[in-house]
Amino acid sequence: MNIIICGVGGNGVILTTRILAEAAMKEGFNVRIVYSHGLAIRGGTVVSYLRIGSDAKGVIMPQRSGDILLAFEPLEALRQMKLLKDNAKVLLNNEPYIGVDAHLGLSDYPEIDEIISKLSKTQELVEIEASKLAIKAGSQVMTNVVMLGSLASSKELPIKRDTLLNAVLDMVPPQTIESNKRAFEYGEQAFQERAA
Amino acid sequence: MKVNKNLLRNAGERVLLTGNEAIARGIIEAGAGITTAFPGTPSTQILDNLGPIAQQLGFHAEHSVNEAVAFEVAAGSALAGVRSVMVTKMLGVNLIADPLLVIAITGVNAGLVVVTADDPGQHSSQNAEDTRYFGMLGKIPVLEPMDGQEAKDMTKYAFELSEELQLPVFVRITSRICHSYFDVTFGEITPPKREGHFEKDPKRYVMISTLSRARQPILTEKINRAAVINETNPWNKTILIDKGEITTKTNPFKTEFGIIASGLTYPYVEEVLEKTKISAKVLKLATTYPLPKQLLNDYFKGLEKVLIIEECEPVTEMQIRAFAQREGIEVIIHGKEDQIMPRTGELNPDLVGGGIEKLFKVKFSEELTKPYLEVEEMLTKRVPALCAGCPHRATYYSIKEALRKNKKGGVILGDRGCYNQGVHEPIVGIDTCICMGASIAMASGMYKSGVKEPILAVIGDGTFLHSGIPSLLNAVQHRSKITVVIFDNSITGMTGHQPNACTGRNLMGEPTPEVDLVNIVNGLGIENINVVESFQTELLQDTLTRHLDDDGPKVIISRGECAILAGRERRITKEKVIRARVAVENCTGCKICMKKLGCPAFGWSSGENEHLVILPNCNGCGLCVQVCPQLAISIPREIQIPLKTQVVAGK
Repeated sequence: MNIIICGVGGNGVILTTRILAEAAMKEGFNVRIVYSHGLAIRGGTVVSYLRIGSDAKGVIMPQRSGDILLAFEPLEALRQMKLLKDNAKVLLNNEPYIGVDAHLGLSDYPEIDEIISKLSKTQELVEIEASKLAIKAGSQVMTNVVMLGSLASSKELPIKRDTLLNAVLDMVPPQTIESNKRAFEYGEQAFQERAA
Repeated sequence: MKVNKNLLRNAGERVLLTGNEAIARGIIEAGAGITTAFPGTPSTQILDNLGPIAQQLGFHAEHSVNEAVAFEVAAGSALAGVRSVMVTKMLGVNLIADPLLVIAITGVNAGLVVVTADDPGQHSSQNAEDTRYFGMLGKIPVLEPMDGQEAKDMTKYAFELSEELQLPVFVRITSRICHSYFDVTFGEITPPKREGHFEKDPKRYVMISTLSRARQPILTEKINRAAVINETNPWNKTILIDKGEITTKTNPFKTEFGIIASGLTYPYVEEVLEKTKISAKVLKLATTYPLPKQLLNDYFKGLEKVLIIEECEPVTEMQIRAFAQREGIEVIIHGKEDQIMPRTGELNPDLVGGGIEKLFKVKFSEELTKPYLEVEEMLTKRVPALCAGCPHRATYYSIKEALRKNKKGGVILGDRGCYNQGVHEPIVGIDTCICMGASIAMASGMYKSGVKEPILAVIGDGTFLHSGIPSLLNAVQHRSKITVVIFDNSITGMTGHQPNACTGRNLMGEPTPEVDLVNIVNGLGIENINVVESFQTELLQDTLTRHLDDDGPKVIISRGECAILAGRERRITKEKVIRARVAVENCTGCKICMKKLGCPAFGWSSGENEHLVILPNCNGCGLCVQVCPQLAISIPREIQIPLKTQVVAGK
């Protein structure tokens, strides 16, 4: 299985991927992650590719072979589209990050509606208000945990829900365990509401 | 100084590690006594991981002042019989070439391993050179791992090979190995031995021409012996692939097609063959220099054409072509030289598939259909910017303003570090960026060439210490009329805040003297020195304007703390950031702040009466307060940044 996780610097893309990989290893799978984080801390594109099981060969996956896209930012989701199989599952946090260049008028940030219509043309898109739910759970920092909750709820992963939740809780500071658990559960509920 | 506990897990455990961490573990398992590097993406984290655990395990770890020094420290230790390793990105190999090529002649008395990280596709480098050429240049054996497990195991083995040959050994990796995670199974840790003893032998170690000449045949004998040892290297493997599937049956398997793949390209080959159902005899080659001859003779039996796949340059391909000619093997060799494989950029499964598609009528990569092509048009790139609150932005702003008001133009020679992000809009603060330390010497050259505009060199403290000092000394001796601005944050910021000689501690966390740049610059013979806080923009502009026309070299040190580090400190002390505030009624939406500063903490309200919005990543540096012509921005704090009072002054 090939999973793509993408966003901009500060979204926790690489940590999220490591959490998924640790959980997959606990379930006995081989894993490979490759990430690219250009100048992540400065609001640049960050993406990582997680390969699990029989796909865990080379670190870079071929185009059009992604099964799942976990996207923390709409434009970044669009950027990864060519790596996805048709009808791949896309979980999208619909909170845009515009960036300096678009503010300067050096580039255009596309309309959100247009991004969503492009994505849903060939992919199974589920929008999650992850940033808002994370704030509700205690902090926007936990946006990635909300997204992981939604992913667990989607039943797309070959990883048990509790294995994934425990991998999250193993990686976060001890004093934030309760709020992270809450964020994960908000993500699960949000997915179920969306899918219903 | 955070200890990475994963590196200390027990033998037999399976751990999720980056390639960099895997190599660090390999170094620990080998029991290296001395570990050195200079920070450089993609391999920085190898030493970053070793530093905090060095004292606990009993070895030495340092980020040296530059790569040549790092190699020489490791070489001295290896001559004294202690296992040593030097880690560098590929550009650092250019610097170590001088001592490396001679240490190859003296040989070593304990394992001396150089880990070289190439950067195909140039994720973070100014070129895409292939360091395996340096292996061939110096007669240094080259090992190439394909994943994290091999990276760890081959690093450990490299010390043994180095000792068997008494010769330095390269472990050549690429960015994708460094920055990928793999599941890696651990071996036993060997406790490091650091009881160095140097057995004097001038005929071996004093490399004046007559003595060196006598040792050349020994080096040639060593590299020939390395080729023999490589015959049985356990990471070289011939794999038969029958219609896409790995087989151990030699009968009825038959193919005339061979693929030789090195490093991390081997798994790509496996994946492409699996999908295209092609049969091939694949050689996974770990020892790309020197080549094992008997192994290749056996491999080539029955093959009519062979495709060679490797990252960067056709280093293996050229050697194999020469080998086939020498041995009289009739085989067509494809690769980068006949453009079946691309010679620039980084390989991936699609490009490997593309190469195979050219030789066979098969289909690997998918065409991008219409909806995907429409999407490609919408993708705008995100231009990187200096961080919110970065003092370099303030320094660039001051330099640009001073030159603008001076009305004589100006050429700004840049250097390597965070501040080369100042090339992007809207700052565009540098006109060149070549290599570590090039700014000052090239500025001298421009002055001597007769350029009439004011000539500036901008360089960070780490880069100045790395290689700016000799250039400045040269500018003093030759009276170059240049202005050097040192962007001083007293740390090596770009690669993740490694300590340098200005920082006051070393990689192992030991306190060290805080070397004062003013003393260094003054010691080089420069009297014309000014020290200014970066956010005192008016003072910095005045200082520049006053001294631009002075004769000879002059230095302005612009001091400011890295915004990322300041943010981390605030999180520890729980001090709140006082962010800039916008008086919406005063903001006319002129965007002068954005056009001059391009701060990533700037956003804009939508709808009518567009105005500046300060985003949560604001670090409260106050630069925008100084720039806004409408006085619409403020920071409500007790102590404002003084604009003109000189708080630190040089001689």
